Order: sequence, then structure tokens, then C-alpha cells
Amino acid sequence: MRPLSRAALTVTQSAADAALAARVACGDCDALDPLYRRHRNDVYRFALLWSGAPAVAADVVQDVFVHLLTHADDFDPQRGALLPWLIGIARNFVRRRSGFPESDPLDDERWTQQRADDATPDVAIAVRQDVEQLRRAIAALPPRYRDVLVLVELAERSYAETAAICGCELNTVRSRLSRARGLLARSLGLHDSDTSVATRG
Amino acid sequence: MHPDSRLDRQLALLRRSVAEAAPPATTDAAIARAIAAAKGRPRRASSRSWIAWPIALAASIAMIAFAIRQLPPQAGDADARDSAASNAARAKFMPLVPVAEIERAGDALLVPARVPRSTIAELGLPIDPARAGDPVDAELLLRRDGALLAVRFLD
Repeated sequence: MRPLSRAALTVTQSAADAALAARVACGDCDALDPLYRRHRNDVYRFALLWSGAPAVAADVVQDVFVHLLTHADDFDPQRGALLPWLIGIARNFVRRRSGFPESDPLDDERWTQQRADDATPDVAIAVRQDVEQLRRAIAALPPRYRDVLVLVELAERSYAETAAICGCELNTVRSRLSRARGLLARSLGLHDSDTSVATRG
Repeated sequence: MHPDSRLDRQLALLRRSVAEAAPPATTDAAIARAIAAAKGRPRRASSRSWIAWPIALAASIAMIAFAIRQLPPQAGDADARDSAASNAARAKFMPLVPVAEIERAGDALLVPARVPRSTIAELGLPIDPARAGDPVDAELLLRRDGALLAVRFLD
């Protein structure tokens, strides 16, 4: 017997997730426990990176899995794996808990500067390599750019998964990521003459 | 240093800084409470027969581990050399992780699932090409954290 390839393992694991989610949808609440154990850290990290606030991230994790408990039948395994679906839900909750409207503000640069000034007055002049500074700069990005930056660059989701989570086209993910990196570089005082992004499936 | 390199380096640092981040124990407790509360509420009946939780106790793990050890080696080398033997092999659990890890798993879960038929081929077992696109009924042995341990094909 050969070992399963990574891809086959992923597909089989997705089938396990789907079966467990179906059990939750049928009222078997205990089936939530392995799903929670398996995916809680990914959801938490996404919410933490998005919000920059551990307390918000913890609340979002709770929101997401209670949502799964009560709305598991909304998950359609034909449309993708469970984790991206959970992260999509986390995205909605973290926006809400962070006080963002569903629609994004249009004036990105003015918004970004205002948020950066509000959050951290010394961001522009502080030490550039500081991780906390980067975290704050990310938290100052407009939500639609923060979504793709956190998902692609930090949560290491594919472009396709990111597009599905954000409900946008693949090219939109690419352009938003490029824009996000440009805004981030500017916020951190790095010259953003080149905001090229790596290619990811 | 190129701005992109500096940005990528900082992003990598941030990625590493949260690599081990996990929700607090209070969140785990809140989810456990939510599960307990939901159990008390009336829900729809299950549409399929279900093996009650937790299905696989330590004793059954040992039994499964024994079954796994009985697997014929390299069953798929000579395509469908012995179809009957192949079917028998399918009725047994096939480990997806080292057997020692399965034995350590303790209170594992058994979950009915439909998996791509290609999974059978991936494991080196013969499949009917005419049905290659159809999913196959299987039982998945999972650790309590939902991670795959073993698979058994049912048809």
C-alpha cells in the first residue's frame, strides 16, 4: 500500500470535515468538537491578524463555531472545503466586532492615514522592523485590502480560496493584494515603487 | 534593501509570531457550553444511521490496529491481480499515519463519509475506470481533533 499523496490526504480530510459538518446539521452536536479542535487555531489566527486584538479574535472564534453549530446546513462541500467557509464567516464577524460597515469606505488613502494616526501616532517614525508596528499598520488598512493581505500573505490561503472567501474575482484578489502591499509599504515608510506580489495558486 | 524584500521579511516575522497562537481556554469552555446547551434543544432527526459518539474506544483502536497489520503488502502492484483479495483489503482499515500514532490516539472517532474514488487508487488499490468519477462510501477513523488516522472503503 502506498501512502496517500498530500493532495489526496487533503481531499480525504475535507470529506471528513464535510461528514462531521453534516452530522452537526443533523443535530449531532458532539460532531462540532473535532471540527472545533481542528480549525480553531486557523480561525483564531485569521481574526487576530485581521483585528490585532486577541480579545476580539477569541470572540470571533466563539461566534464562528456557534454559527457552525446552528447553521451547519449552510455549508455546501461541493463549493469548497470547510476551513475557507469558516474563515469567510470569521471575516464577517471580525469586521462587525471591529466596527466596520459591510461596505468599504471609498477614500482609501485618507481612511488609511486617519486610522494609522488614530491608532498609533508614532507609526511613521518608529522602528520599521517591529512586528507590533506591522500589526498596527495592517490593522489600519481598509478592510477589503486587509482581507486579502491577511488571507494570502499571512494565513497562506490560495488566491482561489481568498476569492471565494471574499466573494470576488481572482483578478480582484491580485489587484487588492498589490494595493494592500503598496499601502502597507507606504504606511511603514518603505518606498512602494514596486508592489509586485508573488504568484500563488 | 528592496522595499518588497523588507516588507516580505516583516510579513514573515509577523507570520511566525502568530504561528503558535491559539484561542484562550475560556473560548474552549464557551464552545463546550454551547455544545452542551445545543444538546438540550430539540433538533431534526438524523437522515442516516450514525454510530454513536464516541464510537472507537481504546479497545477498538487496538482491534483496528490489529486489522491494519493484517493488510496484504503492496496490494496494488499488479493491477487487479486478485480482485477478491482487493475487496477484502478494502474492508479493513488502511492507516494514513504511522500505526503507532493510531494506537496513541486513544478515544478516536469513526465517521462515515464519501470520498473520491481516486483515493483508492492513491492507496495502490485497483479501481474500475468506468466508476473513477464516482465517490465511494468509506469510514474514516479520526483523532479527537478531527485529523485523519485511517480509512476503510465500503463498496
